[in-house]
Amino acid sequence: MATRKSLMGSEPLPVPAGRPALVLLCSLALSSLAVPSLGLAQTDPGIRPGAINGQTGATTTSPLPVASASATTNTPQGVSEFFLNGLGRFQEVESVSGGANNGLGPRFNFNSCSGCHAQPTIGGSGLPSNPQATVLNSVGGNPPIASSSTNTIPSFITANGPTREARFPFFFNSSQTGVNTSAPNGGVEDLFTVSGRADAGKCSLAQPAFAFAQSVNDVIFRIPTPVFGAGLLENLDDSTLLANQATQANNGLGISGTFNHNGNDGTIARFGWKAQNKSLELFAGEAYNVEMGITNEIFQNERPLPGEDTPSPGNTPVGLPSNCLNLSGTGYPEDATNFAPTNPTAAGSDTFALNAQIPSDVVQFAMFMRLLAPPVPSTTVPGGAAAISEGQSLFSAIGCSVCHTPTLGKTQVSAVTAGLSGVTVNPFSDLEIHQMGNGLADNVSQGGAGGGQFRTAPLWGLGQRAFFLHDGRTSNLLTAITDHASSGSEATAVIENFEDLSTSQQQDILDFLRSL
Amino acid sequence: MRAASSTFLLLIGMLVSSTAGAQGPLPQQGPVLQRVPENVILVKGAWSSASDTVTPLPEGGKVSTASYDNPYFGLTVPLPAGWIQKYEGPPPSDSGYYVLAQLRPADPSHEKARGTLLVAAQDMFFTTTHAAGPLELINYTRDHLQADYRIERPPSNVTIAGRDFVRFGYVSPVAGLHWMFFATQIRCHVVEFIFTSADTPLLENLTRNLGGLKSQPERPATEPVCIKGYVSAENILERVDPVLTENKYNQVPVRVIIDREGKVKHIHFLSAFPSQSQAIAAALSQWRFKPYLRNGQPVEVETGMLFGHVPQGAL
Repeated sequence: MATRKSLMGSEPLPVPAGRPALVLLCSLALSSLAVPSLGLAQTDPGIRPGAINGQTGATTTSPLPVASASATTNTPQGVSEFFLNGLGRFQEVESVSGGANNGLGPRFNFNSCSGCHAQPTIGGSGLPSNPQATVLNSVGGNPPIASSSTNTIPSFITANGPTREARFPFFFNSSQTGVNTSAPNGGVEDLFTVSGRADAGKCSLAQPAFAFAQSVNDVIFRIPTPVFGAGLLENLDDSTLLANQATQANNGLGISGTFNHNGNDGTIARFGWKAQNKSLELFAGEAYNVEMGITNEIFQNERPLPGEDTPSPGNTPVGLPSNCLNLSGTGYPEDATNFAPTNPTAAGSDTFALNAQIPSDVVQFAMFMRLLAPPVPSTTVPGGAAAISEGQSLFSAIGCSVCHTPTLGKTQVSAVTAGLSGVTVNPFSDLEIHQMGNGLADNVSQGGAGGGQFRTAPLWGLGQRAFFLHDGRTSNLLTAITDHASSGSEATAVIENFEDLSTSQQQDILDFLRSL
Repeated sequence: MRAASSTFLLLIGMLVSSTAGAQGPLPQQGPVLQRVPENVILVKGAWSSASDTVTPLPEGGKVSTASYDNPYFGLTVPLPAGWIQKYEGPPPSDSGYYVLAQLRPADPSHEKARGTLLVAAQDMFFTTTHAAGPLELINYTRDHLQADYRIERPPSNVTIAGRDFVRFGYVSPVAGLHWMFFATQIRCHVVEFIFTSADTPLLENLTRNLGGLKSQPERPATEPVCIKGYVSAENILERVDPVLTENKYNQVPVRVIIDREGKVKHIHFLSAFPSQSQAIAAALSQWRFKPYLRNGQPVEVETGMLFGHVPQGAL
């Protein structure tokens, strides 16, 4: 059992990385001497230090193990080269035109994948400090990512807040004085435009009316989903997911989830906050188009905002203006298959490195995510081995594991690499969508998921996340837990069980979750 | 006859659309609100609805200061003093699972005995467990318990307030939490009262409190007879399949009450998108069944049907 305590506080500060012992001593000293009358409370230990793969001192993203890849048609070297190629493309900074990588915009949320998928390293969720808050700044002599003459930073984007995309659940009314709740929207409203950039020609676009949307409570947010271990989730057969669902029936906790399905082939979809995307390639293609404005072989056309291609009385939609099309000058799609290696000199005589240059960015983004190793939990940090072990037992005992399933099953045989074959997957998710109540609902429907339904977020890697829940509303793990309860939520009974635990038991669960 | 059907259809369309929330194609004109209301789910997705607002529904129970009352199940459950429902449950699931009420002490401070009461129901027409009744459903739960739970009371039959229940109890040693199930069958549902607490005296008190349950062990003669599998070729005289224009790959569980003349009198969609409920309601208004006879007299029948993404032969 954990013995560590700290002062009671509704918003405890995360423990600085690498200094838990000092905080422990301070907390005990204060609690016993300075304010003895105050009670003790459980506290989020804060972001766990160390690399995502548990390697002390390591700072880079790690691929799946490939040592035993001889059972497949792909050699370890080939798998490694494709992974590294994808990793490199994941970090590429995009320009509108005339740069090394082009096609950004005309609207975007950021200019690289890794800028948003960055915490604790490449492939993760958003950083504690949000790079979107600095897009108007000139850094290192480079021009700003967005022009301050045509862009402002929305008030919900702050230096130490979550990296976000924004959506308007409903269209505004025709007089632009409020919302029309009979007109669901839900599409992404990109934060910035390329207008005013030197490489964007005469494209002139305004940002969406974020301030007005906020004033009428018509904006919701999503933060980046981490993609560690995503290839393992992709390679779980539907039967594995259904078998797990069957074990949950009549669980005595008020929980009964369902699956979101791909609208084309009907199989279980599993990526995104509402499990709306079927595959990593689709996930990557959509994000490239929606978040960065880069057309690709899956999404071939520039994307207008939801209101720009929707007819309404007195408004004939025209889509994007012509001077905002083909800004890269390369034609469409802006990301496409390379029929020859793009940089044979760099690859030298390495056939695998040459081959890895041929697929499109989207294919290689997906391959990077597919081959990206899952997080490795700590067995001792934070709180020590006993607290983590006890916390894991309590996590299951009170019912969290009904949805946050620790072990979902084994992957199907993979033709890509043995590192994806027959692997036991420990995502702490059932990949189902559940009703999460009016406290978390965002009034956005995606596929079969309604406005109150969300995929059970995988918890592997949670210990090193900076922000929680779909919109990043909190950096406090305890708040994230208790926010699971509200009217209409399947999680209420479990949260009540959590609240009925002792303070030290709750602390053990927090320690366990931060060990993931 | 035709006029009556048209009226029925119109009513169903109006009522279903009024209870199902905002979905579907963008309207040219619509109600205008200045602000999106806080803490309200407007875009509901698959949700519950019904063809009328008069016929009681399983999820239609109410919590008052003294009791939980459910007209559909004919239940009145006394609440321990000071217990409340802080949060309502989710809508019925597409497998027919209901959270009817979630109750706990209003003051859950550590100085007070703490516990919870979950009132749940499983529609036995739609359960995925293949259980036929309370004992089999509870056995299913027993057989799928987490490994670290320990059974304290194996499933057994008990009588409470004149009603037959299956009782089942287990404990999580690590959390010190005890669960006690009481499951009974009503109208082809298994209704469960699930007490959870670390305080065993409190659990005993809660169990005794359940003795104050008021129910109708003998179902009223006016209540429809619930029959699983009544929607079969031998009972259907006329049938028009609904045209669902958009495949959401969800199954749509539907409970219907068939009147003495064999017409669909009431439809309860446990989980359906608005377009699905409207199409199904329009189709069911045209169905005709053989009247069900009990002691030679036609009586109303309540049964279940599955539409949408369902296994072959589900209907």
